[in-house]
Amino acid sequence: MSTKTAKEAAGAAPEEDSLALDLYRQVTRIRALELLLNRYVKEHGFGGFWHPGLGQEAVQAGAVMALRREDYLYYAHRGLGYALVKGMAPEVLLGDLFGGTGGSVGGKGGGTVHFVDPELGVLGQGGTLGSNFVLGAGAATSVQILGEDRVVAVFFGDGAAARGTFHEAALQAAVWKLPIVWVCENNGWHLSAPFSAQSPTEDIADRAAAYGVPGVVVDGQDALAVRAATLAAVERARAGEGPSLVEAKTLRIRGHYEGDPQKYRDDIADGLEVPRDPLAILRERVPAAEADALDAAAAEEAEAALEKALAMPKAGPEVVTQGVWS
Amino acid sequence: MSVVAEVPEGVETERIGYAWAINHALAEEMRRDPRVWMMGQDIGKMGGVFGVTRGLFDEFGPTRVRDTTINETFIVGGAAGAAMTGTIPVVELQFADFGLVAGDEIFHKLAKWRYMHGGKLELPAVVRLPTGVVGGAGAEHSQSLEAMGMHVPGLKVVLPATPADAKGLLKSAIRDPNPVLFFEHKGLYRVKGEVPTSDDYLVPFGEAAVRRHGDAATVVATGLMVGRALEAADKLAADDIELEVIDPRTLVPLDMETIIASVERTGRALVVHEAVRTAGAGAEIAARIQEAAFFALDAPVWRLGALDTPIPQDPDLEQLVIPSTDQIEAAARELLAL
Repeated sequence: MSTKTAKEAAGAAPEEDSLALDLYRQVTRIRALELLLNRYVKEHGFGGFWHPGLGQEAVQAGAVMALRREDYLYYAHRGLGYALVKGMAPEVLLGDLFGGTGGSVGGKGGGTVHFVDPELGVLGQGGTLGSNFVLGAGAATSVQILGEDRVVAVFFGDGAAARGTFHEAALQAAVWKLPIVWVCENNGWHLSAPFSAQSPTEDIADRAAAYGVPGVVVDGQDALAVRAATLAAVERARAGEGPSLVEAKTLRIRGHYEGDPQKYRDDIADGLEVPRDPLAILRERVPAAEADALDAAAAEEAEAALEKALAMPKAGPEVVTQGVWS
Repeated sequence: MSVVAEVPEGVETERIGYAWAINHALAEEMRRDPRVWMMGQDIGKMGGVFGVTRGLFDEFGPTRVRDTTINETFIVGGAAGAAMTGTIPVVELQFADFGLVAGDEIFHKLAKWRYMHGGKLELPAVVRLPTGVVGGAGAEHSQSLEAMGMHVPGLKVVLPATPADAKGLLKSAIRDPNPVLFFEHKGLYRVKGEVPTSDDYLVPFGEAAVRRHGDAATVVATGLMVGRALEAADKLAADDIELEVIDPRTLVPLDMETIIASVERTGRALVVHEAVRTAGAGAEIAARIQEAAFFALDAPVWRLGALDTPIPQDPDLEQLVIPSTDQIEAAARELLAL
């Protein structure tokens, strides 16, 4: 059942230059925020754990660009690219990280991220990894009951893929043909454990076969390939044919959290270099001058967002008891 | 001093069982609001393991009455996901105990996601939880876990003790914009009572019912224990001792006002529940009584609850674990002698 190779998926990717340029814009926007946060956390510390997504930008940009505005998104914890590409403003996302009242959760944020924007379909992420699966299946059931034209995208890592909630959600979603796309960011690390030490098979996508749904492996550094593979899954879901799993093979460049000494790891230097950099791969498809301009605009956007986020007032004690009840 | 009529005079009623009252509430709310739907194991054609959802599959069809696989994390987590995306799921777990399988989904997702997200998500979900002993169901199918719902902010906790309340409280639960844990007692499913027929019969949350008026002592009882407390009160009435029996009906929100007003008149309070006595809801109620009415008390606040032991499988033995009518009567007499 699973179609396997990155090349197959990439071969299906639309060739339009404008798409490559759009993807480049999103990948460089995410990258600019990653680099800015890396610098900020080093210089100023941080009130929580920042889980960097450096190197995983192509998965987040490619997959989210396969969605429409009204589609629902349960994102994963590594980085903020998912929500950025779905349409949330960078200063709002940074505001959440710093606990500013201009963040999407009104100052209740800070540290590990829980952005939300129901208008844009951004619904959150489980603080308990793997809980997104059942939430996403529930949202997709709503979509089916209401007869809406929406798809639910559920992001997860190779670590969260181990949860039993995947099985419970996947079995029911397959039986009910729910409009779901599971996007696995397989970065090779369950915190300190290499994926190979915790998986009996090479590909998580193989698990889709157990539910009789498509599972594809795609090069997670190639944003066009990720977008194409995800779009195929999204279109299948939209057509009422049920869920699919897209496994994007990517890389974790930084620690589990920024500041993690990663003593358990000897496969990568402690730097910001991204092997098989998604920006470099996309640059082969876009004019250099345009790419340069997008890089500059992204850096400017990130700096401006940081300035706005840092200027946001912190929430007062009154928010502590707000929002428990409707 | 008398037992209080449960349904106001002049209201049209029918005499039906507690399970059927729940069934009517579900059907009426599903007819009223197309966003309301249900899922759970065997709730479709079978009508649920306790028969509560009989006929609903035939009326509403497989899109709105969904049989699930054995997947409590999805039944509850799926309810959370559905609730935040525009529908109103009313899900059934076969036994309240199975809520522990979906602990993350109940205590984290339903309870916290509105708060965590600055109030931008709404979670109007109802989790129906068949609770309590039913005669030989065993340690993993017989617990009374409602205090766990009280201990995690963000969940409303409901325990109907009568057929009329089962209907009126469930309808309120379905219309409530917050997540509700609805503990329906398995041992009460077949108990019949007068139930208002109106589609608009709602029992509000946070309003205790005074089941019986009295001046000797206040008995606060929940679920199955309401009936036993009333039986015990009848026995004491033979000796001209009149107990006041209060059924809080909802533990979150909890109507302490009615309880405190009663204790201020009677000067004595006994709290009775089927749940384990240690750290049960009664501990919280007792603590609040002494905080608010200490100087009105003529005796310490007493609690009766299940022994600190799992529920034995044997139907005779299980009754030895939870408070009996005789034990309630004896406790009330001892409390009055202090």
